[in-house]
Amino acid sequence: MPYLGSEDVVKELKKALCNPHIQADRLRYRNVIQRVIRHMTQGLDMSGVFMEMVKASATVDIVQKKLVYLYMCTYAPLKPDLALLAINTLCKDCSDPNPMVRGLALRSMCSLRMPGVQEYIQQPILNGLRDKASYVRRVAVLGCAKMHNLHGDSEVDGALVNELYSLLRDQDPIVVVNCLRSLEEILKQEGGVVINKPIAHHLLNRMSKLDQWGQAEVLNFLLRYQPRSEEELFDILNLLDSFLKSSSPGVVMGATKLFLILAKKFPHVQTDVLVRVKGPLLAACSSESRELCFAALCHVRQILHSLPGHFSSHYKKFFCSYSEPHYIKLQKVEVLCELVNDENVQQVLEELRGYCTDVSADFSQAAIFAIGGIARTYTDQCVQILTELLGLRQEHITTVVVQTFRDLVWLCPQCTEAVCQALPGCEENIQDSEGKQALIWLLGVHGERIPNAPYVLEDFVENVKSETFPAVKMELLTALLRLFLSRPAECQDMLGRLLYYCIEEEKDMAVRDRGLFYYRLLLVGIDEVKRILCSPKSDPSLGLLEDPAERPVNSWASDFNTLVPVYGRARWATISKCQGAKQHGPELPNTASFATSGSLIPEENKETIQELPDSGALMLVPNLQLTAEYFEKTWLSLKVAHQQVLPWQGAVHADTLQMALQVVNIQTIAMSRAGARPWKAYLSAQDDTGCLFLTELLLEPENSEIQISVKQNEARTETLNSFISVLETVIGTIGDIKS
Amino acid sequence: MIGGLFIYNHKGEVLISRVYRDDIGSQIAGSALFSSSRPFLEERRNAVDAFRVNVIHARQQVRSPVTNIARTSFFHVKRSNIWLAAVTKQNVNAAMVFEFLYKMCDVMAAYFGKISEENIKNNFVLIYELLDEILDFGYPQNSETGALKTFITQQGIKSQTKEEQSQITSQVTGQIGWRREGIKYRRNELFLDVLESVNLLMSPQGQVLSAHVSGRVVMKSYLSGMPECKFGMNDKIVIEKQGKGTADETSKSGKQSIAIDDCTFHQCVRLSKFDSERSISFIPPDGEFELMRYRTTKDIILPFRVIPLVREVGRTKLEVKVVIKSNFKPSLLAQKIEVRIPTPLNTSGVQVICMKGKAKYKASENAIVWKIKRMAGMKESQISAEIELLPTNDKKKWARPPISMNFEVPFAPSGLKVRYLKVFEPKLNYSDHDVIKWVRYIGRSGIYETRC
Repeated sequence: MPYLGSEDVVKELKKALCNPHIQADRLRYRNVIQRVIRHMTQGLDMSGVFMEMVKASATVDIVQKKLVYLYMCTYAPLKPDLALLAINTLCKDCSDPNPMVRGLALRSMCSLRMPGVQEYIQQPILNGLRDKASYVRRVAVLGCAKMHNLHGDSEVDGALVNELYSLLRDQDPIVVVNCLRSLEEILKQEGGVVINKPIAHHLLNRMSKLDQWGQAEVLNFLLRYQPRSEEELFDILNLLDSFLKSSSPGVVMGATKLFLILAKKFPHVQTDVLVRVKGPLLAACSSESRELCFAALCHVRQILHSLPGHFSSHYKKFFCSYSEPHYIKLQKVEVLCELVNDENVQQVLEELRGYCTDVSADFSQAAIFAIGGIARTYTDQCVQILTELLGLRQEHITTVVVQTFRDLVWLCPQCTEAVCQALPGCEENIQDSEGKQALIWLLGVHGERIPNAPYVLEDFVENVKSETFPAVKMELLTALLRLFLSRPAECQDMLGRLLYYCIEEEKDMAVRDRGLFYYRLLLVGIDEVKRILCSPKSDPSLGLLEDPAERPVNSWASDFNTLVPVYGRARWATISKCQGAKQHGPELPNTASFATSGSLIPEENKETIQELPDSGALMLVPNLQLTAEYFEKTWLSLKVAHQQVLPWQGAVHADTLQMALQVVNIQTIAMSRAGARPWKAYLSAQDDTGCLFLTELLLEPENSEIQISVKQNEARTETLNSFISVLETVIGTIGDIKS
Repeated sequence: MIGGLFIYNHKGEVLISRVYRDDIGSQIAGSALFSSSRPFLEERRNAVDAFRVNVIHARQQVRSPVTNIARTSFFHVKRSNIWLAAVTKQNVNAAMVFEFLYKMCDVMAAYFGKISEENIKNNFVLIYELLDEILDFGYPQNSETGALKTFITQQGIKSQTKEEQSQITSQVTGQIGWRREGIKYRRNELFLDVLESVNLLMSPQGQVLSAHVSGRVVMKSYLSGMPECKFGMNDKIVIEKQGKGTADETSKSGKQSIAIDDCTFHQCVRLSKFDSERSISFIPPDGEFELMRYRTTKDIILPFRVIPLVREVGRTKLEVKVVIKSNFKPSLLAQKIEVRIPTPLNTSGVQVICMKGKAKYKASENAIVWKIKRMAGMKESQISAEIELLPTNDKKKWARPPISMNFEVPFAPSGLKVRYLKVFEPKLNYSDHDVIKWVRYIGRSGIYETRC
């Protein structure tokens, strides 16, 4: 155990380090130091021998020096006073004739991470920047960034920045790249290093001299550069052409991104680039380095969102092989699902059907869901395959198939007949909550077409006492009541029993409330029940929301080659902004469970959702980041383009409003606190052409109206009108919920 | 930019931890470095534990090689039973980080061979030294094994001589990053290895579902001075270009040209020349390096055909017959052939008869492993097995995993042939004829599966 007996070890090592005999023998001395490092790695607290280690740093033995410096960098934050003693030796080493020693000392000194070290490292860094050995210059350049980091948010040293800018012309490629990195960190507050025309062209010319890391980094910095003319743009693209075929997938992706961004006004160039990187991407997808293969697959999916046919002829490349790791198989299934077309649908389905019986339940379920996804376009074939899968009578398959059916029926009403025929008998093979809910929902909504529906539900009613999931009981209540409307004779008796049980014996409050609610509803009369429960049974238009038609390349180009495609956009948003994490409340039900909740979704909410595709003509950019200062400045400089008054009642629920606005990509900049009079909110949004919409909401409680003022930085009436209609819808919806 | 790099063993113990950036330092960072009396370091340990719990000890299979814990991304790669994890808070390019981890593995392997727990424990000082040179402040620096050798002191006890010192300076100021000047050999020699891995997915009916070859040309050069090399192979485009003059020659020798789907080169190859003339010319790094990497999908020579026959006799017995056919010149010998025939989980006993090699039922792996040391081309061999099953009440049908195969053959399944490799060194007086050249072809199986 590393934590036990550490004191003895420290004592012993301390003694050994002080022993003059050992100190005299270089090899033995070094061995003791190695032991210190070894214990440090294993987790022992070795800070006790700091003093002795500082002494050991005064040596000519470079191996020993490295070890001691490693030790110091680890423990310096804990022993800042003692670490200052080591500075002297380090400073001396910084002027050693051997460039390696100079570099090592400088690097270690910059990595000490303790307060007060700045004043000592400043001069050595400046000397290092002018060192004749490039090895030292590399270290010194990054040292500038480290020094800046230690200072915290202190002022930027202008002279140093200029020096770094001039070092961009250094002979050594790594020094150049390090300069960029260092400047980027130092100037972070001002928006990072400035890439102007001379710098951009200089970097472009040096590209081929850089190693792969440097190339990837420079490609990333070049994203910032805006070519002045079309001619220059195409010159740059020509220069960078060979990097699309680089041996390093990272460079290929970096180059692709640069091409996509630079050519954002030339869709044909973008398409052309994507065609050309097809080869390298496919190579990465079938490479033996699995993690890389995973990253490439994520990007292939990204591309498929915009160009669905792009990889269709290569669909066989995405067939899974047995020994591949799980994460690659799951990605491949997703890809297969997206590249399906008339020619390959047969083969792809055949392949997916094979996966459905895979040993891994996870994988087989993913394959079934994938078939469900394809079923939206190729309904008949898929439903047939899914029905056959039910015949296997395996629990984990049946439950997923039934869930898939439920989602499918909602989106493609034409397959209802086939699904209803397949359902009888499933109930024997479903044990989990999700599967039961799906089955019960289907029986309730389409019960009139399934002859034995009441009997299956009766089984559930009989066993309701031993049912463990409250969600299933709630679903059962709703389903039975629905079925009662279409087949009263068969259901009346058991509905009574179920209601009795729910009201009298059930311990779960939600179930009990639901039971009571339906009971009272029945008391009001059957017509009222019909009005409430007979909501639409399908909604094909929802499919549009789920897979929006081809997204333009520009909508994801800036996310390409980052972590966004790897995590998925939604997940990345929660990771990068923690505040968004908690707000994903009930407002936007996720589509998988959408159909389950059936009638329970208030009509108002549905409107918001259906409104979404309508605003398609106007594309608002998600995740627009505006600072309050910038907003204020712009707001004051613009004139009001549109003013309107909408009805409103009661107080404002700020969270709800903010959420609803976020759904349509309108960001809230500031709001008054709740209950303030008059209540105000400032909103901002930007469309894909860069046009900004700034909005003020003003609520005067006494006249129960909300006043909207919109300002626009480019005067274009049609986008303004569509923006206002979006805003109106949201505010109307929220207002309705209130009242 | 990488915030820190950790190496774990399969138990989740931290073997190596190197933190480059404070932004991850405050949250996660390194090992169980300090005693629990220091709360801010305590916090670090929690996240390391979280990685262990979420990834290394996770019950299910790994869901993604990029894991996010506490808003920090862990990029992990597994080598034998060692986990390497690069950690960052930034929105970095995933491909680049993975490439870096692979590079790190390569460099470590070049220094101490296989990456295993024992090797890492024995070489931890060296690894820290490497990590210090390869990454600075989280940014990749020099990562070429050859160039690194100048900076790494481990195992070199003697202090540096004047000559070596000047080498560092010239090496890092030189125009060509991958080769230093003043290299001398008494014997100029070069080795070319064409290493291919052939991947196949075949349906039970013998239809090729997908097949591709990914190959590498690895060169080991021991050449003096700054030699200019030119490499030629039977690339379809080149052959067709020269077509008119040498058409009958190519047809006579029977050598077919091959179509390369895509290829990439080491950075020393002049890409401009490749694009314009499709010729591959370069000044090679000293020692071993990967000259090119390529992929082909057309006209692949599949060295083996596997013909499976599975028959279920009642509920408790399976009969399996597998025939393998070698499909190459009879004068060539394939080696290390291994056929893996999966068996159901409820197997109780297996009887195997094979004409050649040795076959064994391995209960722990649920497979019959049939090994053949050598097999010539155009031969056929057969194995038949009777598998007895325990009766189960599990209704689940056996999923029948595919039959997989491993082998090594002394030719390139893609059909690639090295036509020439010419060496010119204008300054030193040795010519192309004085260089001793060796070429070797090795084709290995990648994922070579036949469904049954």
